[in-house]
Amino acid sequence: MSHTHKPGDSGGERHAAPMVEEVTDFEVLEIAVRELAIERGLFTAEDHRRFTEWTESVGPAAGSRLVAKAWTDPAFKARVMEDAVKACKEIGIDWAEPTGFGTPSDYMNLRVLEDTPTLHHVIVCTLCSCYPRPLLGMSPEWYRTTNYRRRLVRWPRQVLAEFGLVVPPEVEVRVEDSNQKCRFMVLPVRPEGTENWTEEQLAEIVTRDCMIGVALPRPGRTADVHPVQKASRPVQGAAHSGEATHEREE
Amino acid sequence: MSVRSDVDPGRIALLEALLKEGKTWDVLAPRYGVTNPNPPWKTSLIAMCDCLAVRGALPTLDRRRAEDELAESVYSDVPAPERQLLALVHIMLSRSLVAEDNLASRMRAVRSRLEAV
Repeated sequence: MSHTHKPGDSGGERHAAPMVEEVTDFEVLEIAVRELAIERGLFTAEDHRRFTEWTESVGPAAGSRLVAKAWTDPAFKARVMEDAVKACKEIGIDWAEPTGFGTPSDYMNLRVLEDTPTLHHVIVCTLCSCYPRPLLGMSPEWYRTTNYRRRLVRWPRQVLAEFGLVVPPEVEVRVEDSNQKCRFMVLPVRPEGTENWTEEQLAEIVTRDCMIGVALPRPGRTADVHPVQKASRPVQGAAHSGEATHEREE
Repeated sequence: MSVRSDVDPGRIALLEALLKEGKTWDVLAPRYGVTNPNPPWKTSLIAMCDCLAVRGALPTLDRRRAEDELAESVYSDVPAPERQLLALVHIMLSRSLVAEDNLASRMRAVRSRLEAV
C-alpha cells in the first residue's frame, strides 16, 4: 500500500515524510562541488564512498573501551582527564586518523566529563549535532532532534526522566553543550557489583547512552540486551499485549 | 593569539544567490513534515571534508579555522548544516580549488539531471 503526503496537509493523522519533495539548491551545490573536486583529482569517488560508509557505520565501542580502562586503571584515567585526545591513542583511537585510512573532520579537542556520586553530566549540541564521532560513532537520531536539543538545556531532569533516568534531587545535573571547538563524552560512575570484572566485561555495560549521559551503566545491561522489561505498574491490558515500555532507573 | 586563516572574507555572488532563495533545511523540512534534523546531503558533506583532508587538498585545521571565521562573519545568520556547506565551498573557491563559473555551470547541469526523473 502506498502512502502519500502533500505539503500543507492538515487533516487526519500526521506522518513524517521521508524526504522533502524538491531538489534544493544546497543539495545541488554539494553534488556539484563534489563532482568538480573529483574531476580535478582532489579525491576519488571511491574515497568519498569509503568515508561516507565509515561515517554511517562507526559505533561506540571505542568509547566503551576508554571508560572501562579508566575505571580499572587510575593512571590512565588521570591521563584521560589531562589530555583526552592523547589518551585515546592508548585505546587505539587517533583523532587525527580514526578511520585508519584518513583524517576525519572532527575538531580534535575532546573533554571527558567525570561523573561522581553527586554530579551527573549529560551532553548535547544545541546548534546542530556535534558529537565525538571517533569514540561514539554517529549520533543517534533523537540526539539531533530539536526536542532534545532545546529542552535538555532548560529542563534536564525532565528530559532525562523521559529516558527512564530519574536523577535524585541531591545529585547535581550538568549539561555540556558541544560545539565546533570542543567535543564531550561522559565518564559515568562505575556501578556496584562489577568488582573484579575485566575491562572487556566492563566495556559491555558501557553503552552509547551512558556516554551521552541519558543512562547509567548497570550489571546485566548491555547494548545487545533488549532493554524493555515488564512494567512495574502496567497500563491495564498492555501487559498482556506486550506493550509495556517504560522501565525505571533505580 | 589565535591564528587567522587565509580565506578571503569577501561575499561570493553565487553563494549569496543561494541564500536569497531562503530554502534552508530548517525552513523546508517542516514544510514537508520531515523530522530528520539534518538534510540528506549532510553525511556526504562530512565525507567530502574528510576526503579533502586525507588527500592533502584542504587540511582539517585549515578548514576549521576558515570555517569559524566565515561562521562569525559572512554566514553568521545561516543555520548550521548550510553554513558548513557554504563555508566549505567558499574556502574552496578562495583557494582556487574550484572556479566560480565552473561551479555555476555544473550546478545547472546537476539540477537538470536531478529533475529529469
